[in-house]
Amino acid sequence: MSLRDLFGFAARALRGHRLRTGLSLLGVAIGVAAVVTLTALGEGARLYVIGQFASVGTNLLIVVPGRTETTGGMPGMGGVPNDLTLEDARAVLRGVPEIDKAAPIVMGTETVAFGERRRQVALAGGTHEMLEVRRLGIASGRFLPPLEWDRSSPVAVLGQKSAAELFPGRDPVGQIIRVGDWRMRVIGVLAPRGQQLGVDMDDVVIVPVTTAMKMLNRRSLFRLLLQVRTHADLDRAKERVVRLIAERHGEEDVTGITQDAVLGAFTSILRALTLALAGIASVSLAVAGVGIMNVMLVSVSERTREIGLLKALGAGQRQILLAFLAEAVLLSTTGGLLGLLVGWLAVRLLVAVYPALPATPPPWAVVAAFSLSVAVGALFGVLPARRATRLDPVAALSGR
Amino acid sequence: MIRLEGLSRTFDVGGEPVHALVDVSEAIAAGEHLAIMGPSGSGKSTLLHILGCLDRPDRGAYELLGRDVARLDEAELSLVRRHTIGFVFQFFHLVPRLTALENVELPMVFAGIPAGERRERAMGRLRDVGLEPRASHRPDQLSGGERQRVAMARATVLDPKLLLADEPTGNLDTTSGRHVLEILERMNASGLTLIVVTHDPAVARRARRILVLKDGRVVHRGDGAHIHEAVEILSAAENGT
Amino acid sequence: MRDILHLAQGALRAHRLRSFLSMLGIAIGVAAVILLTSIGEGTRVYMVSQFTQFGTNILAVNPGKSKTIGIPGVLGGTTRKLTIDDAEALARVPGIETVVPVVMGLARVEAGERGRSVSVLGATPDLPTLWRFGARQGSFWPRGDPRRGAPLAVLGPKLARELFGERSPLGAFVRIAGARFRVVGVMQPKGQMMGFDIDDVAYVPVASAMDLFNQDELFEIDLIYSSARDAARVEAEVRRVLAVRHGGTEDFTVTSQEAMLDVFGKVMDVVTMAVGAIAGISLLVGATGILTMMWIAVGERTSEIGLVRALGATRGQVQALFLAEAAALATLGGLAGIGIGLGLGAALRFFVPGLPVETPVRFVVAGLATSVLTGLVSGVAPARRAARLDPIEALRAE
Repeated sequence: MSLRDLFGFAARALRGHRLRTGLSLLGVAIGVAAVVTLTALGEGARLYVIGQFASVGTNLLIVVPGRTETTGGMPGMGGVPNDLTLEDARAVLRGVPEIDKAAPIVMGTETVAFGERRRQVALAGGTHEMLEVRRLGIASGRFLPPLEWDRSSPVAVLGQKSAAELFPGRDPVGQIIRVGDWRMRVIGVLAPRGQQLGVDMDDVVIVPVTTAMKMLNRRSLFRLLLQVRTHADLDRAKERVVRLIAERHGEEDVTGITQDAVLGAFTSILRALTLALAGIASVSLAVAGVGIMNVMLVSVSERTREIGLLKALGAGQRQILLAFLAEAVLLSTTGGLLGLLVGWLAVRLLVAVYPALPATPPPWAVVAAFSLSVAVGALFGVLPARRATRLDPVAALSGR
Repeated sequence: MIRLEGLSRTFDVGGEPVHALVDVSEAIAAGEHLAIMGPSGSGKSTLLHILGCLDRPDRGAYELLGRDVARLDEAELSLVRRHTIGFVFQFFHLVPRLTALENVELPMVFAGIPAGERRERAMGRLRDVGLEPRASHRPDQLSGGERQRVAMARATVLDPKLLLADEPTGNLDTTSGRHVLEILERMNASGLTLIVVTHDPAVARRARRILVLKDGRVVHRGDGAHIHEAVEILSAAENGT
Repeated sequence: MRDILHLAQGALRAHRLRSFLSMLGIAIGVAAVILLTSIGEGTRVYMVSQFTQFGTNILAVNPGKSKTIGIPGVLGGTTRKLTIDDAEALARVPGIETVVPVVMGLARVEAGERGRSVSVLGATPDLPTLWRFGARQGSFWPRGDPRRGAPLAVLGPKLARELFGERSPLGAFVRIAGARFRVVGVMQPKGQMMGFDIDDVAYVPVASAMDLFNQDELFEIDLIYSSARDAARVEAEVRRVLAVRHGGTEDFTVTSQEAMLDVFGKVMDVVTMAVGAIAGISLLVGATGILTMMWIAVGERTSEIGLVRALGATRGQVQALFLAEAAALATLGGLAGIGIGLGLGAALRFFVPGLPVETPVRFVVAGLATSVLTGLVSGVAPARRAARLDPIEALRAE
């Protein structure tokens, strides 16, 4: 019996009972659509995270003061006995050839005021290198000039939102603002950036690093951002930097974090989460399979006479088995295709409403969901199909 | 072409054994037209089912075209049912969702014959039974007689050697019934062995040979010309004597 | 009503395999929902207990506004820092029982040949009151002026073990960032909280910590207030007092333990419901299954329905019969599902002790109610179809 005849026979049988067929394949469609949509969401989250990281550059090595051997401990909060200084930064730049650029950072919070308007923002002390290393953009004016790192200067760059709130409808460049008790001249405004490395770069004021250290009365850097020349050098650069600073401080008291490692951790978690959610949604496919089995069993019992006839006409056991199996598979596969379509539409809708999330069903998920739908029909159609073959033709023909 | 030796078949009905066939032996030559008569419960349908390889005897041998049917497995049996035997039923048993043409094509689908050839042969058979214009009608759009003719076209589409008919006119009016019998006899004339089970003497008289069964045994062997003898035996059997 | 249920039961029994399969669909769906929401609830309970073991009437004050960065205090203070004077001023706020100024950092703690880089916490001897657990051996340093440090330290049990093995560290000397401290106590073991090993920490007087880290500001001020009723009032007063001291600006963040737990609880609830909803998709599919089978049943039993109507049953009774059948299918399936879900949960608790699984009664009730509802909803269409059959047509169709 040719494949075309087989599925033609099956399609005919299914078309005979439209509602029943429709409801059964609806179950599979719902399951497949759910799997597709959820994996698309997970994939969107993963791509979003990667995008966020890429926006800061992947050749980034972050040096954080502090080192801990405690399980679950994270450096970067609180004090350290040895300051991470500008001299350390310069030494690293000189002593580690894999490093292309260094951007020392100091952070705090401060109130920025212009006239009657006041705003609490993040205060960042940085250098000219910060623009490139942190992939920032300038909307108007310019960024911090290439000064000697030790030089203080009363200039400031505002984040988009801070500028908009303090200077609604005006260009802040050239204006004098008060940062805490200090008077600073605005020389530039950042392009919109959003959250970056945990800080909202739209609500920030950036001043020269030495100025910030004076303002906050601190001697230690908050972070030292390093741009490594090539991606391949990342790990080696990290080792060298940590060792060099350890020599200078007398002990290993800094931690090097590569974006790679952090990104890797994030994406593994996201992948696992996506898989788990998809797995949960797949349970509904099992339920749909049970439904298909049920409907096929009814179909077999309704067509007892027909099955007896087919046997009398000379259909073999295997052919009858295949005929009913084909029906189940056709049913579930059609449902699977419908589910893929619905899922795809749902994802498109999602992306239209939330363009920030690049949700897209990953190819592996689409293939897996479709294969599952085919498998469900095959698996849950076996029992009814075997029942069909075991009917005694004589009894079947008399309708018993 | 058919040899039956000591055929017996017993059914278990609600705990009680029912002896449908008891020690039936017979030889049937190729090209014969045989009628099997008997009261209800005489085992005639059972005998037909065994002849059609739909049922197996409990004891005895059934040799068809020199092969011992009991030795064949299920796969071989279905080949026999497909290519050697054609079955015509009292209640037609057409598939309601298929057209007349598609119903006739059905055995060819299992035989793996490609669609184009199928269509041709099926149309040919429908032409033979005079139903070519109704080829695309569904069974519920056909009269009883037309349905039976479709069934006959289906039964012979793979050129079987043996044609079995179980009360073929039982559900038809006289005119349609006669039409159907004419077609059956035409097929018999072209070489098909024809065995008809019937309770109607008008049908049985047209056969060359007649067997009368009672309680699972052959109680009379006659011929169509001497139908009255058979009828007497039959009524006696029906009245329990 | 009882008769209808009885009839329904008979109809279901007549087609055992079919009924079983319909119930199975619902059972799988309900089991999945129960299991997953139990895991969600278990996680929530576990995390809340992790937090509340430290006490609940707590306010934490950190420098900087939390809106600039998620974790308060990380960016450090403004030009107006959080000081010990601030802490003492807050101690005088009515309703405040205890104040603990806190400094935090990372340093190397060494004893003889061994050393370990760990978190060092600067605090006062009131820390055990705040955290509701204290020294198992020895004690904290004596109470005194928090502005004056002392070379005394308390070690977490893991840290003590790493540095001193099985010996008692009491009275021994350690070097923290090069400075010498005498060990006066070892903390009770507490294990991990949110993945962080609290036993691997060293505690010193707050002023000593400020010296170690060259800081003149506090990382945090923790406050215990006496009664939960006053919480809002006390918090408002704390904000006011501190803002005045900081030149009129609220350049700090006040976090209440309760508020945090509240937010956390709400977040976990949303997560649990979301996961439950995803599992609930199977329930939806199961309902489709019941709808299909009931629809088929109505078609099969047309003559039976006609007969029953001819004998005097009303449309409403026929409808009720089929609704009852659908509801019975779904309810039985739901009960089975609850059993399976609870069983799997128990198995998980046994085989995977790390995984928190809790099934509150309200989940079970909700699961049951959902099943009954599912049955009723999927039964409506078939029941109405049955009720609308014309008895004569029904009897004629065979």
